[in-house]
Amino acid sequence: MSASTMQVRNAVSVKEGFGKKLLRNREALALPLMFVAAVVLFGWLAEGFLTIGNLSNVARQSVYLLIASMGQLVVLVAGGLDLSIGTTAALASVAGSMTMVGVGHAMPDSPAVAIGAGVAVSAVIGAGIGLVNGLGVTLLRIPAFMMTLGMSSVVFGVALFVSGGTPVDGLPMQLGAVFGFGSLFGVPIPSIVALLVTIAVYCLLERTRAGRHLYATGGNQRAATLSGIRTTRVILMAFMVSGVLAAMTGILLTAQLGSGETNVGQNLPLQSIAACVIAGVSLAGGKGRVVWVLLGTLLISLVQNGLDLMQVGAYAATIVVGAILIFAMAIARQR
Amino acid sequence: MSNVSMPAFSAVRYVSATAPEGAGAQVLSVRGLTKRYGTHTALDGVSVDFHPGCVHVLFGENGAGKSTFITMLAGGNPATAGEIEFGSFLGVFDSVVQARAHGIRAVFQEFSLVPQLTVAENIVLGEEPRNGLGILDLRAARVAAQALIESLGFDLAVDARVADLPRGKQQMVEICKALRSRPKVLILDEPTASLSEHDAQSLFKLVRKLREEGTAILYITHRIHEITLLADVVTVLRDGKLIATVGADTPHDRLIELMTGRTMSNLFPQSKAKIGLARLELRNLTLAVRPGAVRVKRVNLVARAGEIVGVAGLVGCGKSELGQACFGLWSVKQGEILLDGEPFAPKHPADAIKRGFWYSPADRKNDGLMLGRSAGENIVLSGSMWGEMMGRWLRPRHERRVLTKLAGRVAFSASRMSEPVSNFSGGNQQKVMLAKGLAQDIGVYVFDEPTVGVDVGARPAIYQHLVELAESGAAIVLVSSDLPELLGICNRLLVMHDGEIVAEFDRAEFDEQRILEKFF
Repeated sequence: MSASTMQVRNAVSVKEGFGKKLLRNREALALPLMFVAAVVLFGWLAEGFLTIGNLSNVARQSVYLLIASMGQLVVLVAGGLDLSIGTTAALASVAGSMTMVGVGHAMPDSPAVAIGAGVAVSAVIGAGIGLVNGLGVTLLRIPAFMMTLGMSSVVFGVALFVSGGTPVDGLPMQLGAVFGFGSLFGVPIPSIVALLVTIAVYCLLERTRAGRHLYATGGNQRAATLSGIRTTRVILMAFMVSGVLAAMTGILLTAQLGSGETNVGQNLPLQSIAACVIAGVSLAGGKGRVVWVLLGTLLISLVQNGLDLMQVGAYAATIVVGAILIFAMAIARQR
Repeated sequence: MSNVSMPAFSAVRYVSATAPEGAGAQVLSVRGLTKRYGTHTALDGVSVDFHPGCVHVLFGENGAGKSTFITMLAGGNPATAGEIEFGSFLGVFDSVVQARAHGIRAVFQEFSLVPQLTVAENIVLGEEPRNGLGILDLRAARVAAQALIESLGFDLAVDARVADLPRGKQQMVEICKALRSRPKVLILDEPTASLSEHDAQSLFKLVRKLREEGTAILYITHRIHEITLLADVVTVLRDGKLIATVGADTPHDRLIELMTGRTMSNLFPQSKAKIGLARLELRNLTLAVRPGAVRVKRVNLVARAGEIVGVAGLVGCGKSELGQACFGLWSVKQGEILLDGEPFAPKHPADAIKRGFWYSPADRKNDGLMLGRSAGENIVLSGSMWGEMMGRWLRPRHERRVLTKLAGRVAFSASRMSEPVSNFSGGNQQKVMLAKGLAQDIGVYVFDEPTVGVDVGARPAIYQHLVELAESGAAIVLVSSDLPELLGICNRLLVMHDGEIVAEFDRAEFDEQRILEKFF
């Protein structure tokens, strides 16, 4: 009798083992499942969704979020969180535009110099905002959430102040022609930029010593310090990378819009965090991979595009992205 | 199979002198207590008697079944087989409430305190005094708590918020809670693990007082010197089986033999290192004051090449701070540190590692390891800045080669290199920590409690490693609360008390009793 009960117990435990394995990999499975579900659902409901033209459109739309999400990923891996990337993009947009307009007036024959100056100014602004965020988090020990939330408001105020709240017009034509709608060998320039950024962040996180230090600092800051890592510098670097990438997003959006505006990038913080969280990036730090975040970004862009095609309006898209974020958190939390 | 366990003889003859044979004195008899989880037997037919007015120590390695045993006595975990007889009760406890009703209380390592409430509110929790209107009477609660704390001889402020107290004080609140109902049997699970010296002493005093009052006390400890200080009887468990119940005067090496199933002589390797020049020297070192920590004052210490210098003392005597100070974690107020004869004033661990100094922290989980990352990544982490793997880019193939080499040196299985560290036992986690220290060029090592939470069976590999490091010409400072291990492998032993070095012993003059006296 005892032998037969043993057998039954074994069978049960094997079954449990399989179920448990599925359950443990739920996080890894959630993203591909949602991806497939979105493709099937919109392929069925939204007319013209599954066409080459539309899907390449999705790819083109997603590059802005992708670049910002790569910055968010770096900060999250280091154990932080950056809510200021949206207004950083806005300030980079207006300040970069004003520089381009100003330099363009001074040197009307060399638009490349004007564009270069604008890009440089916005990159410096992004790095500067990242540096302030990082100093607040490390030296003043303010939680990243509060530091970047406050900074977000400060930066937005500065952007409104310098631009007077009106769009900055009169940008060099070449900005839109190259960085907005240009292409190289048939590939849109913004996509090339996003691809290069993704490869660079991949190399940073997975191929360099600095990447190891980011994961170590986010994984266990005390242990990292006791291993001789200067964690303050690591955190500063993470926020500066995020700031620069946010500024880059701002400039690319400006090129697409044709004017510098304070309302670019409003949705970036929420959407980038959503893209990272559904990709299994830990909000506690120390965990997250580039390839998954790439997929997460694509998923969010797919959903937005699908809802656009169904003509349910931008409001519905906002609702759905929020719901996806909550759903992803729920999956990550249940252990 | 069962011939490993020796017949348990009665404990009565050790305690008949101290146990008052009053009318209320009841013996807690456990018979054949067994716990199975599936096919795994955590506890296998343990029978033992606990007498009133007797401190009964349960001794055994991690996983020996001590925790399972006491949780069942306290009603937190129903037994698979066996019975408990206590006064009129015969059977097994189904719930903690039932065990408490019979006067059995346990203080576990995981606390049951509400951190936001005050000490007084926690002590009366669940049995709050109320006034005539049925409203909580906070004043009465304070008075009751104060009276209890005083009667127990503790140093606790009733109005302090529990969250603000250090762990040791929280432990005392927990003990107060347990003693409020005057239990007949009190179970203490490693109570001194987080207590400072002062608090540990008041706990010992309290335990002796309760013994005089006729309480039966079950005391779990890993610290063998507490057996000498407190116990009347010792029961040794191994692999879920009762091995023996012996008197507290049993020699320590015999107790360790019973606990591990092997003799002491294989436990500690002997170093054949030649003692060379001084590598680490602390001269009159005084550290800056920091709230909540004992202040290290006027410490002189020399560690020579090939030497293992032990630093002993109770928890909170300042021995950990000593190693941390050399690692740039404390600011030095006075005195100096010399490394290989050169002045040494690190501001950050990075400075110290660059100069060839390594500190291995006691708290592996919080300070030592990134639990979610792989063993390999943990090991090379600091080596990628100063060691063989140094470079801006990672070099995976080179890294694998180096990792295999390091794993061999600390007897760590190289096949588990890519598993996250959180999967490992304490012993394997410690091996990862040891390998971390090898990943760069180091001349002076400070090991802070390298065997805490490591099974005695896994310890020889760690001792062997320390001896090999010494033989290769490194100077080693071993900070430990485990006196037998210090006596086993150190060339010299310093005892700290309240932030100062109070005694120094050479190997030739090692005498456990004399050294222990210096602890207090």
